Amino acid sequence: MPRVTEDVAIVGIGETPVGRLPGMSSVEIQAQAVLAALADAGFALSDLDGIINLDPYATPNSMFSTTLSEYLGVRPRFSTTIDVGGTVTGMTMLQQAAWAIESGFCTVAACVYGENTLTGRADNTQGLHMQNLLGGEEWEEPFGCQAMVIPYALVAQRYFDLYGAGPDDLGAVAVTTRAHALLNDNAQMRKPITLADHHASRPISSPLRLLDCSLISDGGGAVILVSGTAARKRGLRGVRIRSMAMRTTHNSAAVMPDISGFGMAEAARDAFASAGVAVSDIDVAQLHDAFTISVLVTLDALGFCPPGEAGAYVRSGATSLGGRCPVNTHGGLLSQAHVGGMLHIVEAVRQLRGAAGRRQVPDARLAAVSGNGGVFSVCGVMVLEQERAA
Amino acid sequence: MTAAQEDPDWAGLRAVLPRATAASRPFWDGCRRGELLLSHCNVCGHVFYYPRRHCPSCAALDPGWKRSTGRGQVFSFTVVAVSFHGSGWESQLPYTVVLVDLDDGPRMMSRLIGPGRESVASGDRVEVVFPEIDGQRLPFFRKSG
Repeated sequence: MPRVTEDVAIVGIGETPVGRLPGMSSVEIQAQAVLAALADAGFALSDLDGIINLDPYATPNSMFSTTLSEYLGVRPRFSTTIDVGGTVTGMTMLQQAAWAIESGFCTVAACVYGENTLTGRADNTQGLHMQNLLGGEEWEEPFGCQAMVIPYALVAQRYFDLYGAGPDDLGAVAVTTRAHALLNDNAQMRKPITLADHHASRPISSPLRLLDCSLISDGGGAVILVSGTAARKRGLRGVRIRSMAMRTTHNSAAVMPDISGFGMAEAARDAFASAGVAVSDIDVAQLHDAFTISVLVTLDALGFCPPGEAGAYVRSGATSLGGRCPVNTHGGLLSQAHVGGMLHIVEAVRQLRGAAGRRQVPDARLAAVSGNGGVFSVCGVMVLEQERAA
Repeated sequence: MTAAQEDPDWAGLRAVLPRATAASRPFWDGCRRGELLLSHCNVCGHVFYYPRRHCPSCAALDPGWKRSTGRGQVFSFTVVAVSFHGSGWESQLPYTVVLVDLDDGPRMMSRLIGPGRESVASGDRVEVVFPEIDGQRLPFFRKSG
C-alpha cells in the first residue's frame, strides 16, 4: 500500500467568511485563507516556503500559485497549482505538500482553494462551463446536458432503479446536513428544513430538487503543513495524514460507468488499508456532498452500510451528531458553503483538535474525508488522525 | 424541409450545436445521412463511443467506423425542469436527457424526444432519430415501444 508520509503534521487551518463576499477577488480570498491558517499555526508569512492551490473554476486563470505567491508577498521554494477534479483536489494538495516537506523541498506549506464563485462569475445562467473534455463538451451539450446537476441526476435515477431508493433517502441527507449547518456560525444556510420542505422544493433535474443541490459560494479554506519535527519544536500538536488514495475512472457523464464502476470503493479500500484502519474505526466523516445523492453513493462505497442501504443508514441517525459516525458536521457543500471540499478538510482537522464547539464529536481521533470530481469521475479518500500527546 | 415538416415531434427543438473536431467529423457527417456511426477498432474489433484516434481497449491507432443499429435501452434518465440558457430556452422545458446502452455495445448520452419522453423508465427500448436543428442533424432518441 502506498505510504503518504511518516511525519508531517497539519498545524494550521484557515477559513474565510462564506456566502457573498462582494468586491473580493479569488486571489484575495485565497490570500485571506492562507493568512488565517498561518496565524492559527503561529507562523509568520515569511516562514511560508510552499504554496499549493487550485485556480478559480468560475474564472479560470493560469499560473495561479505564482499569482498567489506574488500577491501574498512570498518567494516559495515549492509552488504548484493542482486540478485533479472537484473535491479530490484539496486532499491531493495535502498529499503533495506532505511529499514536498518530507523530500526537503519546503518546510512550511500552505494548501489553499477559494474563489468568488457566487459574486464573480461572468454569466450566471449556464452553470459552470468546465471545458473539461478535449476543449469542449461535444458529447454532452448537444443533448441538453449542462452544469453538474444533470450528471448527478442520472446517477440518482440509477441509484433509485438499482436499490429501490427514493426521495426520502435523498431528503434525509438534506435534512441531516442542514441541522449540522445550524450549529455553524459560518454557514450560508440558517433555517432548519424538514423532509416535507425537501419534497416541496422545486424540481431541477429529476429526481433532484433544489434542496438536493449544494450552494454556490464565495469563500476560501487553507491548511498549513510542517514536518513533525518542526511542529514538536514549537510545541504544536498537529493532525496527521494517515493515508490518501484516489481512483480515476472517466471524466464526462457521457461515458459514465455504472455506480459499481465508480472509483470510490477502491479509493476507500486503498486509503483504509494504507492507514491500517477499518471503516468502523472512523469517528467522524466529511463526505462529498455536491448533491445529496453523492452522500448516499459514498456511504455505500466506504462501507458504512451495505450497498443501497445508505438512505436507511442516514435515517437511523448514524450520520447525525450523536450518531455512530457523524457526517458533514459543518453543514457540508449542501448547507455551509461549496468551497471545493477545502472546508471538509478544515472541519475534519477542527474535529480532531476537539475545537468544533457546539458540533464537536466527542473523542474524535480518526476522520475520513472523501472527495470526487466530475460525476464520480475521480474519487479520493483521506484518513486523518489526531496526533497523540507526546 | 424543416424539422417540423418531417416530424411534428421535432418542432421547436433547440440545441447547443457540437463543435466537431477532425476526428469526430465523420460521426456528425453520418448524422446528416441518418447514420449513427460508432468507432470500431480495426485491430481488436472493440466498438467505442465517443470517437478517438486510438482504441481505448488495445491502444491500436487504426480506428474505423461501423454503423450502429441505433437501437438500445435506457440506462438512466433525467427530466430537466430548469433552463441553463436563460429565458430563451424555456420552450424546451421539461426535456429528457438519457444515457442509452446501445445494442451494439457502447453507452451514449442523448436526448429523448417524442411521445412519452416525460414518462420514461430505465430499461425502456429506444431508437435513434435525427432531427435537424439549425442545419445540424443530432442523434436523439425516441421510445420504440
